Amino acid sequence: MKPERSREEAPFAYQGLDRVIHERARLSVLTSLVTHPSGLTFVELKGLCALTDGNLARHLQVLEEETMVRLTKEDDAGRMLTTARITASGRKRYLEYLTVLEQVVRDAASLSREVEDSSGELSPALP
Amino acid sequence: MVDLDRALVDIRSIRRQVAQTTEFRGYGPATLFATAVLAVLAGVVQAYWVPEPAAHPAQYVALWITTAVVCAGLIATQMLTRANRLHSEMADEMIRMAVAQFLPAAAAGAILPFVLLHVSPAVFWMLPGLWQIIFSLGVFASCRCLPRMMILVGEWFLLAGLACIALGDNRSLAPLAMAGVYAIPMAGVAVIHLYEYRKAATDEA
Repeated sequence: MKPERSREEAPFAYQGLDRVIHERARLSVLTSLVTHPSGLTFVELKGLCALTDGNLARHLQVLEEETMVRLTKEDDAGRMLTTARITASGRKRYLEYLTVLEQVVRDAASLSREVEDSSGELSPALP
Repeated sequence: MVDLDRALVDIRSIRRQVAQTTEFRGYGPATLFATAVLAVLAGVVQAYWVPEPAAHPAQYVALWITTAVVCAGLIATQMLTRANRLHSEMADEMIRMAVAQFLPAAAAGAILPFVLLHVSPAVFWMLPGLWQIIFSLGVFASCRCLPRMMILVGEWFLLAGLACIALGDNRSLAPLAMAGVYAIPMAGVAVIHLYEYRKAATDEA
């Protein structure tokens, strides 16, 4: 296993970008769940994340295997209702991911500003 | 650049939403209990140093404002260390929210005695009751991010404040009206927080 390098040595390594979360659908599911700590039903999640039944079920299974999400089935007037809730470890991993993601955007914004500034200095003044 | 700035705004917005749905654990049970003890001490000091508060309102205000400042300092210091330890990435957002929720009540409570002392000294006896009502509003405003039982504490301060005003005279300035009314629920709050934090730690384990 490669040792983790410090941010000074490899500033754009972003080792905190969790592969499990770094997938659009799963990021969408976790963002929905982290802002609804009492949980969301399968149907509500499907609507919020614009996913098909099969896709959502597959991503929820991945998140459940990683113990980031807990799924419960409750009887609601004769039909089974699946509710997903984010776990404490899921919430922690999501927040760590968000911090790294924010750093990525900050770095990109700062580099972009530097490029804009230097191109402004190099380009000849318009008459 | 616009896209990157928008992405940063979106991330901050998610963080804020998460903070709004997270129970704030920055109030340390030991510190809250210490403020209850300080209130009792201030009550004892009042009994000896300002036995007739209606005759020496400035001393009464000085005593209780000093006690409030010391308590706020203790709570703020521990809030910073605890929140950074327990909320890590969310600490800044959660502290900002906790302060924003309680600050209006704290500011009103700080200004009120000066208005009563200089503008309406005839109704100075209302100060403890009004302080308690204002404190209850601060607790109610903070309840969203605190253990649910905190609503009982807000109700206690509201009822105690109304009862103080119902006394209708200088009896409301007695040491017990401030020390007892504050110390009893704050000791309870310390127990509530301790119980909730232990429960949360067990759930997370």
